[in-house]
Amino acid sequence: MASGVSGYAAISTRVRAMYSDLLSPQEMTRLSDSPDFSALVSGLKATPYGKYLSGLKDNELTPRRVILQIRNRLSDSYSSVVQQAPEQTRSLVRQLFRYFEVGNLKAVLRSIQTVSSWNSDLAPWDRVREVLFPFGSFSTIPAQAMVESGSVAAAVELLRGSPYEATMSFAMKRYSTEQNLFPLEVALDLNYWRRLWAEAKKLSGKDREMGLKIIGSLLDLNNLMWVIRYKIYHELSEEELINYTLPFGYHVRDEDVRAIAAGADIASIISRVYPSITHVNELLEHPESGLPKLEHLLKQQVMQRCVAAFIGDPFHIGIPLAYLLLSDFEIQDLVVLIEAKSSRLKDEDFRPLLLKTTLAH
Amino acid sequence: MLFPKQMSEVELIVPSKDLVAVTRALSGYGVFHQVDSANLGLEGLAQNTWSEKAGAFSALERRIQTIMQIVGLAEEYPARPGMDTMVDLDATRPVVDRIDDDVKGVSDQLSGEKKRLELLESQLRQLEPIAEVNVEVGALNKSPFMHSILGIVPSANITRLRTSLLRVPHVFFTLREDPQKPVVWILGPKSNFDVLERAAKSAYLNPLSLPEEFNGTPEQITAMLRKEIETSKQKIAALEADLAKKGASYKSELEKLLWDVHISRVMADAIVRFGQLRHTYVVVGWVPTEDLGDLTARLKEASREILIETMETSRSGHHANIPVALTNNKWLKPIQELVTTFGRPSYGELDPTLLIALTFPILYGAMFGDLGQGLILILVGILAHNRIFMKGLQGLGLLLVYCGFFASIFGYLYGSIFGFEGHLIEEYLHFHFEPTWMSPLENILTILGLAIDAGIVILFFGYLLGLFNNIRSRDWAHFWFGHTGIVALIFYFSFLWILDGLLGDTPIAPKVAAAISELPLPFSSLVLVFGGLVMFSGFFRNMVEGHTLIEGKGFSGFAMFLVQSFMDLFETTISMLSNTLSFVRVGAFAVAHGGLSLAIFSLAGEEPGLRFWITILIGNIFIIGFEGLIVYIQTMRLHYYEILGKFFHGGGMQFEPLKLNPSQEEAKP
Repeated sequence: MASGVSGYAAISTRVRAMYSDLLSPQEMTRLSDSPDFSALVSGLKATPYGKYLSGLKDNELTPRRVILQIRNRLSDSYSSVVQQAPEQTRSLVRQLFRYFEVGNLKAVLRSIQTVSSWNSDLAPWDRVREVLFPFGSFSTIPAQAMVESGSVAAAVELLRGSPYEATMSFAMKRYSTEQNLFPLEVALDLNYWRRLWAEAKKLSGKDREMGLKIIGSLLDLNNLMWVIRYKIYHELSEEELINYTLPFGYHVRDEDVRAIAAGADIASIISRVYPSITHVNELLEHPESGLPKLEHLLKQQVMQRCVAAFIGDPFHIGIPLAYLLLSDFEIQDLVVLIEAKSSRLKDEDFRPLLLKTTLAH
Repeated sequence: MLFPKQMSEVELIVPSKDLVAVTRALSGYGVFHQVDSANLGLEGLAQNTWSEKAGAFSALERRIQTIMQIVGLAEEYPARPGMDTMVDLDATRPVVDRIDDDVKGVSDQLSGEKKRLELLESQLRQLEPIAEVNVEVGALNKSPFMHSILGIVPSANITRLRTSLLRVPHVFFTLREDPQKPVVWILGPKSNFDVLERAAKSAYLNPLSLPEEFNGTPEQITAMLRKEIETSKQKIAALEADLAKKGASYKSELEKLLWDVHISRVMADAIVRFGQLRHTYVVVGWVPTEDLGDLTARLKEASREILIETMETSRSGHHANIPVALTNNKWLKPIQELVTTFGRPSYGELDPTLLIALTFPILYGAMFGDLGQGLILILVGILAHNRIFMKGLQGLGLLLVYCGFFASIFGYLYGSIFGFEGHLIEEYLHFHFEPTWMSPLENILTILGLAIDAGIVILFFGYLLGLFNNIRSRDWAHFWFGHTGIVALIFYFSFLWILDGLLGDTPIAPKVAAAISELPLPFSSLVLVFGGLVMFSGFFRNMVEGHTLIEGKGFSGFAMFLVQSFMDLFETTISMLSNTLSFVRVGAFAVAHGGLSLAIFSLAGEEPGLRFWITILIGNIFIIGFEGLIVYIQTMRLHYYEILGKFFHGGGMQFEPLKLNPSQEEAKP
């Protein structure tokens, strides 16, 4: 089993090369200075995303299409890392990649539930596939057949033999009585993160240490946002909040999540876990605008952890994982920019939402 | 060899009557990369009516696959199939219906019986953990003070469910420890009914309810269930035997149907992507020019009235839509993999495989110069390539051979054999072996300077290849002002003059830089002028490409532009310095190789006894394994960062020809 120097020889070099191709905060600022959507696309063409946009004709340069194309770069990065990662770490990277498949699965299920209200000449699948992450040959879900199946139950039947079969079979009992996708989506999320954490725990040595650190930081972000959102927006009970969250992570302890579920002061818990995040109380006073800001700050904590992974010993899985997450955050920034420019948002409405530039400041 | 295969664009106008024969010719030989002509924006295209047919073939193929699965037949495609024509749906469907109906009756009975068996077994499993409890099962739900929940919960949720119930009094039993479907029983006061129910529901607990007809103690019910399970199993065995018999009788018919419908589906899928006119179809795609003659002949055989227009594609200009088929030379495969790991060349771009095939082993050899160890690498490479030893390295076998070859040559030049150098060779190996060029250990600074010189030459070459690629793609903005453009190249000349000024008095001064400084050129002016041009190269690129010259408005926009321009100059200068000095590692590793060998000798001692030779043997294995790997990483790093980045962009689209059978090698007529 290749590990350490021998296992990471090629991937470490490759990932560092790809890392240097990520946009700098200055480049991101330059892109966000673009006066309109078409100028932004021209700017993007001069970046490493250019090759993903070069095949598009002018009439295809819609925001949705551009987002799909730039996501192809992340998909390629995952494929490249999966191919080159040492064998013992591949299932972790694959499981991390499944995050986007879970997203696709949710989008497909939502589309089935809402298709009757669509007012479009396009076939449902033609509309849905534009918003799906380009998961390529890694996909285990028959997305088109699911969309065309016409009902959530029939679509879930098509997941037989996929990694989601068992989870969905439990959750479908609730869907059939509640006719709400919430239990399906929560079940998918919990299953995804449990598997990811289990994959990270299977590793040994430095891989395990860095894997748990990077994945754990991401899990902290999700766990905290889940418990806060479910409490504030869905007004769920303590026992439901506990069942809809996970008892592991890197910084955030199970006691913290349970304390929030039991009604403890959220701000003091967050400030203790992340001393650099202050004025949480102000953010929670207006949850509609405050929670996205809090999520933004928590994502930046994860970004900092990812950047730190590139310092020191380079022969571990932390570096590829950190690169993939940073790539994802970069694309999240670009999606914000594309949507902001195409809907002509004012600077002050979208600039604070950019992860990379606000982190640099 | 220097470029991806020459491709020709093929446009066909196919009469409707020959559609199937032409499609068969296109998809049968693995040389035609189809372009979706249904969306080419051609005028006069009618609605392609084949989508429905393709869907019907696809559904029929799935049905046949399902039938084969039910009767226990493996899906197999013939190794060298006959290329029959597309089957008639109306004739094929009744045949599939007939077999399906015959199989379905039995299969429905079987699946119904299996479900019943599953239910019975699940009920039995629910009862097994409480088999010895002497209570009426029905009484569980009739208590006036206690609330009871019996159900299956995902095993991953059990711990969390227990945690969520901590705040209320309860009893929690895991009745069946099953990794898939564990059964739990929760009992608590009726007053906490809502908390218990919410916790169970949010943990995705699916309540079990035993049918009301089950009365009595668990022991009595269990005995009854076992009897019914036995009967059900016998029924299932009989039904399965019946299905197997049907499978045997339909085997050859189903296999033929599957192949016929499969190729019909593949061809229909291809036709869906043709543009349909009134009486003809428009087909567009790409073919390697070397295969064009054969394909044209086959197409003409398939249709006398077909119109074939072929256009050989020039390599200049932009080629994002042209698929890239690389020349498959088995001797260069490992090198090609190194290149494609970095990126697939685009169509007009120079394929750097041949260049890397030269520079990679040479740089490796220069860093790992040892005649004996090089020969060992060659041997290991040959054994790995032929899967005799270290089978996992088969893909790298040839690369090891090439690297070993140059390591041997440099070992000969350095006078190093298995770490023995100079007097040690005569003392321990008893023959004379002098460096034919120089010993890195005795000429440390000279070899470091030479390494920088080699780097400068390679970088120059990289700049020239970058210019060459820009000329071919007519990318004039980058030809003049790109990071490897003319302006950057002249600035690099001037930069070397500065480098000579900085290092000129030291023994590692690169001779190429010194020679350049001797040229009668006004370097001080060149540095200023071309430094300025490099600083504003983004501005000039925008000007050539017709983009907005300065992004941002007003004074702040201009100030930001100046800051960014200065940073561009700073970054370019730092890159030139680091790229050039990066090659010093080639010399440093040549020295380190000798140093590591000396360390092994000091561990071995001076007496040439058994301990000495064992230490030398282990030391050599360590050097080959450990240092060999580090040098490999360094060589790869030099190529990815310093060399390929200068001229290679990648981003080519992979050539994916139409094939009838995905597992089938290219079929020959």
